[in-house]
Amino acid sequence: MPENSGRQGGGVEGALSYSDFRFRPARIKKVVAESPKVKSFYLEVREGELPRPGQFYMVWLPGHEEVPMSASDAGADFIRITVSREGETTAQFHRLRRGDSLFLRGPFGNGFSLEGKSFLLVSGGYGAAPLIFAAKEISRAGGRCTYLSGAKNRSELLFLGELRRLGVEPLVATEDGSAGHRGLVTDLVDAVLPRGKYQRVLTCGPELMMYEVVKRAVGQGIKVQASLERYMKCGFGLCGSCVLDPAGLRVCCDGPVFDGELLLKTDFGKRRREASGAGVSL
Amino acid sequence: MKLGIRLGRMRMRNPTMLASGILCNGSLLKRAAVEGGAGAVVTKSLTREVREGYPTPVVVGVDCGVINAVGLANQGFASYLSEDLPLAKEGRVPVIVSVAAGRVEEFEEICVRAEEAGADAVELNLSCPHVEGHGMEVGADPAAVSRIVKDLAGVMKIPVHVKLGLSDRMIESAVAAEAAGAEAVVAINTIRAMAIDVDARRPVLTNVYGGLSGPAIHPIALRCVFELYRELSIPVIGCGGVSDWRTALDFLMAGASAVQVGSALAVRGIGIFREIEEGIRRYLVKNKFSSVKEVIGIAHGVKR
Repeated sequence: MPENSGRQGGGVEGALSYSDFRFRPARIKKVVAESPKVKSFYLEVREGELPRPGQFYMVWLPGHEEVPMSASDAGADFIRITVSREGETTAQFHRLRRGDSLFLRGPFGNGFSLEGKSFLLVSGGYGAAPLIFAAKEISRAGGRCTYLSGAKNRSELLFLGELRRLGVEPLVATEDGSAGHRGLVTDLVDAVLPRGKYQRVLTCGPELMMYEVVKRAVGQGIKVQASLERYMKCGFGLCGSCVLDPAGLRVCCDGPVFDGELLLKTDFGKRRREASGAGVSL
Repeated sequence: MKLGIRLGRMRMRNPTMLASGILCNGSLLKRAAVEGGAGAVVTKSLTREVREGYPTPVVVGVDCGVINAVGLANQGFASYLSEDLPLAKEGRVPVIVSVAAGRVEEFEEICVRAEEAGADAVELNLSCPHVEGHGMEVGADPAAVSRIVKDLAGVMKIPVHVKLGLSDRMIESAVAAEAAGAEAVVAINTIRAMAIDVDARRPVLTNVYGGLSGPAIHPIALRCVFELYRELSIPVIGCGGVSDWRTALDFLMAGASAVQVGSALAVRGIGIFREIEEGIRRYLVKNKFSSVKEVIGIAHGVKR
């Protein structure tokens, strides 16, 4: 089981009620263009608890679909979600401005376990969203982190300025060589992992990238946690859409953050299920 | 104290079942049995074709329950039976395959294949409240119920269960199902409902209408089970708003031989089956019953 059990699952926390699964409106306070494809939305939250790094919201724009989105930051009176324009729904999100509203359910899921002092964070593409939030929490708690950031090109690297303001110098890889190392972020992992004396590796990004990161960390006996993305319908453990087989782990409430050793016993990196439930190879 | 029961020809180690459409996939059905302690598990409703279901939002919480319009999403029966059913069976409790179809021949094709694939029973979903031509209107038509069940009972070796929804003709349909050879009736399905978000000023579910489940519907389901117990001699399975051992036990007292659990997993977790089993066991011991069978139908006052 995941180290850090979600809000559902076991009834231990017991405080959940059905009204936790209804939507509440969140007004957009600020929109920031992070890259040509990615925008961050700062949302005013009036009620409900603040998220931990790695937790997510089901975000609905009435008239369009509802999609799961990781929190990329949170403060006393705001949460931030970071949206990559990937399809019709996210394109509609990108048209929103300050004063508009999104509708949220959540936060759901377990979040990263941030015990320890020395972390390696490995981000690919918009997988940076939960990791920048984790980097902030780690810094706040006095931990150290190395941050590896991979993207297709320079313009798609996310949150570099924010990391520097935290005192973290990101190491960068781009597939076209427009910034940093030319190649994959996993090349950087190979370079730094053996020398770093890291207690934990956190990763989020394309699943095949995370699979490589998890294999390397597990191979060297370092605790690794990956934050997964899956097609989700309910977000709170009922529908089974986001299951990892054959362990029967639900990304929405047993995750979305899983221990790497556990993931290697599942179809992580190999297969996922579509909206119908049909399995497709990655 | 053993809590084992018999449901027609099917034996269960306890009277709790995972309801159809919850957890859904083979590996999670196994988890409901192994980790959760369910006495039996029911698959999601399988159809002949692949169904993507409706676009999200398809599930939303309300004050005392959940409304969903998933839209019978499934990968098609053939794929489910070959990939998911074997995993579900690793849970080593009866696996009941739920089937949704529009026509008698489709029901027959899917049910026969489910039996060949190792299903312990089939549950005919004659009560989906949010997909046209796939449920509610069939379950509310005793002649149609009779036709479908008679056809299947003639060809199936494994038990045929019929899941009925709330309708004016539920009792008639259940009686027709029994006469046609059904071995159990499951009552009830979700109740057609909707949610409007006052800030968004529109219906929440993409499909507008969905099915309400959870504590809100339990007293209605309880009444249905109570009435069905009076009219039927085959076992009744209570479904609707079971959230703890009390709401499971009142179903048994109304006459259910077993109960199905769904929405409560969202708030209580997968371990709810064992919680219910233990709660009922404590009750039985404390009140000096010698088996769970003694409380089935006890609220009717007379022994059957």
